[in-house]
Amino acid sequence: MSSSKRLGKRSARYSALGLVAALALTACGGGSGSNASANNTLVIGIESEPDILDPQGGGGWVTYRISHQMFDGLVAEDLSKPSSEAAVTDLAPGLATSWDISPDGLTYTFHLRQGVKFHDGTEFNAEAVDYNIRRMWDKSAPQYNARAAGNTTFVWQHLSAVDVLDNATIKLTLDQPFSPLLRLMAQGGSGSTGIISPTALKQYGDAIADHPVGTGPFKFEERVRGERVSMVRNDDYWGGAPKLDRVVFKPIPDASARVASIRSGETDIIAVPTPDSVSGLQSDGFEMVDATPPHVWFFSANMKEEPMKNLKVRQAISYAIDRKSLATDILKDTALPAYQVQAPANTGYLQSTDPEYPYDPDKAKQLLAEAGYPNGFTTTIETSVDGSGQMIPVPMAEFIKQNLEKVGITVNIKTYEWISYISHFNAGLEPGVGMAQMSWGMSTPYWLSIETNSSLIAPNGPNAGYYQNADLEGVIAQAVAATDEDTANKYWEQANQMATADLPMIPIVNDKSPYILSKRVKNFVLPSEEWYDLTKVELGS
Amino acid sequence: MIKLLAKRSSSAILVLLGVTIIVFFLVQLVPGDPARAILGNGATDQAVQSLRQQLGLNDPLVAQYMHYLGGLLTGDLGNSVNLGKPVADVIVPRLGNTLILTVAALVISVGLGVPLGLIAARYQYSIFDRLAMALSLAGASLPVYWAALAAIAVFSLALNWFPTGGMYNARMPGGTPDLLNHLILPATIAALVPLAVIARLTRSVVIDTLNQDYIRVLRASGVSEKSILWKHAGRNVLPPVVGIVGLQVGYLLGGVIFVEVVFHWPGLGQQLYTSITAHDLPIIQAGILFIALMFVVINLLTDLAVAFLDPRGEVAS
Repeated sequence: MSSSKRLGKRSARYSALGLVAALALTACGGGSGSNASANNTLVIGIESEPDILDPQGGGGWVTYRISHQMFDGLVAEDLSKPSSEAAVTDLAPGLATSWDISPDGLTYTFHLRQGVKFHDGTEFNAEAVDYNIRRMWDKSAPQYNARAAGNTTFVWQHLSAVDVLDNATIKLTLDQPFSPLLRLMAQGGSGSTGIISPTALKQYGDAIADHPVGTGPFKFEERVRGERVSMVRNDDYWGGAPKLDRVVFKPIPDASARVASIRSGETDIIAVPTPDSVSGLQSDGFEMVDATPPHVWFFSANMKEEPMKNLKVRQAISYAIDRKSLATDILKDTALPAYQVQAPANTGYLQSTDPEYPYDPDKAKQLLAEAGYPNGFTTTIETSVDGSGQMIPVPMAEFIKQNLEKVGITVNIKTYEWISYISHFNAGLEPGVGMAQMSWGMSTPYWLSIETNSSLIAPNGPNAGYYQNADLEGVIAQAVAATDEDTANKYWEQANQMATADLPMIPIVNDKSPYILSKRVKNFVLPSEEWYDLTKVELGS
Repeated sequence: MIKLLAKRSSSAILVLLGVTIIVFFLVQLVPGDPARAILGNGATDQAVQSLRQQLGLNDPLVAQYMHYLGGLLTGDLGNSVNLGKPVADVIVPRLGNTLILTVAALVISVGLGVPLGLIAARYQYSIFDRLAMALSLAGASLPVYWAALAAIAVFSLALNWFPTGGMYNARMPGGTPDLLNHLILPATIAALVPLAVIARLTRSVVIDTLNQDYIRVLRASGVSEKSILWKHAGRNVLPPVVGIVGLQVGYLLGGVIFVEVVFHWPGLGQQLYTSITAHDLPIIQAGILFIALMFVVINLLTDLAVAFLDPRGEVAS
């Protein structure tokens, strides 16, 4: 019958379609498998997809935690001690074994480590350092990279010359003394000064991010976007070969999904669990480690307009906020109350002072009355709904709103999705917005300058609240120009004291950036930094 | 059929052109400056301006759009601003991953939904019918995010049958078996809503058809129930069911993005989120364009399939 013939033809067509679908499904599979090192592979569940793996051009802490494992700078930090043992990380030799600073603070001579090889076999020497610094700084160099330069602007802003003295010595000359230089050279997060193999740079150019070649303890293996960045042990590492065979960084943006992944054994370490999940994880045998990284969760005050430009109002707000209850009740002790603008992991932090503005609602009311607002006022505060380092911003803002309403300040909270929020914040506070919230910090006290300098007023820099204080800038200039560390620190402490008293930013809490470890993980140390070292980490059975 | 194909294809092209216009101008609303996002907070104004110039961001918008469209016509989607590599290299693997999830969810929802609807209709008002419909109502009403977390709690954490997320084992990535193992849970969750819709609509279409006069005539003539259901009713039921399935594919393409988040499936949705963070406009444009393209193509295929299955449509066109 013709109709059944037609049907037969059609079902053949359907089967063909099905076959194509099935083939498409299997063809997309694949992936590389190797049994040997699977058991000694550390899997870390991280908060988001990392940026490019060019250590100089890539931005964000999530990214630097990865590139830090593959790259070294000339100057390093001692990341082997937890915050309880070292509130501020010590600077340590990296690819430079030592350095001399001229008495006038204008020349830095670095003595380089001998016998170090990049992962591709290229010899590390003064030429390699010169090539890298020129990539970030020398516009006339062929390897100059605008992105690497942009992200390292603060580090090299006073560099005026680079000279290779011999194979193992390089000299940097500055146009003015710049005491934050060494610590900035040891920083990451918004670019870093990690040294890349010149051979690889010449070979790959801008595509270096897909072929990162450094001198670090781990060698790049593979990156599958959205899935993993994997690296293998560098047996020839100058600091001693790591214990792990492989490390895999796996982006798991959803916090609940991260918790599930460590519970099921798919990950060994996860960053930032949900605060509510921590006690359950601990009672099930998982370990929580935390630290006091240089991280402040703060409000930038709008210094352009009343009432926030009135110091008494800012003081009243600072007195009105119950930071201790916020840290304990809302954040379940995953943060510490912050009373200073600088975080504890910073040489500008004042060790032995009482809080400048402790919780005191009566004092707050009194100050509001003195400022001319006996019945309070209405203002808007802004924050994001989530985001890297933001903890749980909305419940935190709600809590602060209640605090402020107790002293008569009516608060409207405006929230933004994180990505929009960063741009919105960086554009500067809008008229009518009293305070906008942000969270970051650095272990160099120079961060205060970045936050408050009048030349960096938004949208041309991070000074979103339009703060201008010539006195503070004067003290910071002295700290920057100091030629010995003690003098510099003395000025930095003074600068912190001034900013903490004047409150261009109202500090709220310091994040303890908790990590959850499975029972297998041994020797993982979280230092007073936003990143960590994995060379000593071991996996048990 | 060819006439229909020509007619529908030409309107599809117009729709896609409209999409390029909307997408291009919409992404301009993403707050922030791509050049500043690349160079970081400390970069000097001069550096930002020179990069804007280099990226062509200082040209008038219309000129930028014409340039973009010109590229599209020659098959060039441009380069990722953030990653410096061709957009296609970034988007295509992600699109493949999203399609794997979508196709698997479709197979599940059609494979279970259509038979469920047929059997429920055949045994209307039976226990099976009531149970199947109640379950499908529940399936369609569950928020995907919650259902996904509940499924992870039960099938991954309590029973340890499936991994909690990802596409391959991170310690030891395997081939297709590893992929399938990671696929079952997210695909099933993504399939819940379309499965329920397909089952319920299939049931009502079949019941409608079985109540038609010609079926009664067939019954009266002593044709077996099996033959009535599969041979006579089946062919009349097929076109509306295919239409429903086509609509569900559209739903799935949007819906899998939520599933991708919870199961950290490296699909297009996740890539778009990352690219919005980086202000990577070419990737965002291409991503949305691809989703629109898939919608249009699937609609076109559905229309053609319905016409192919329903001879009346062919005559009409």
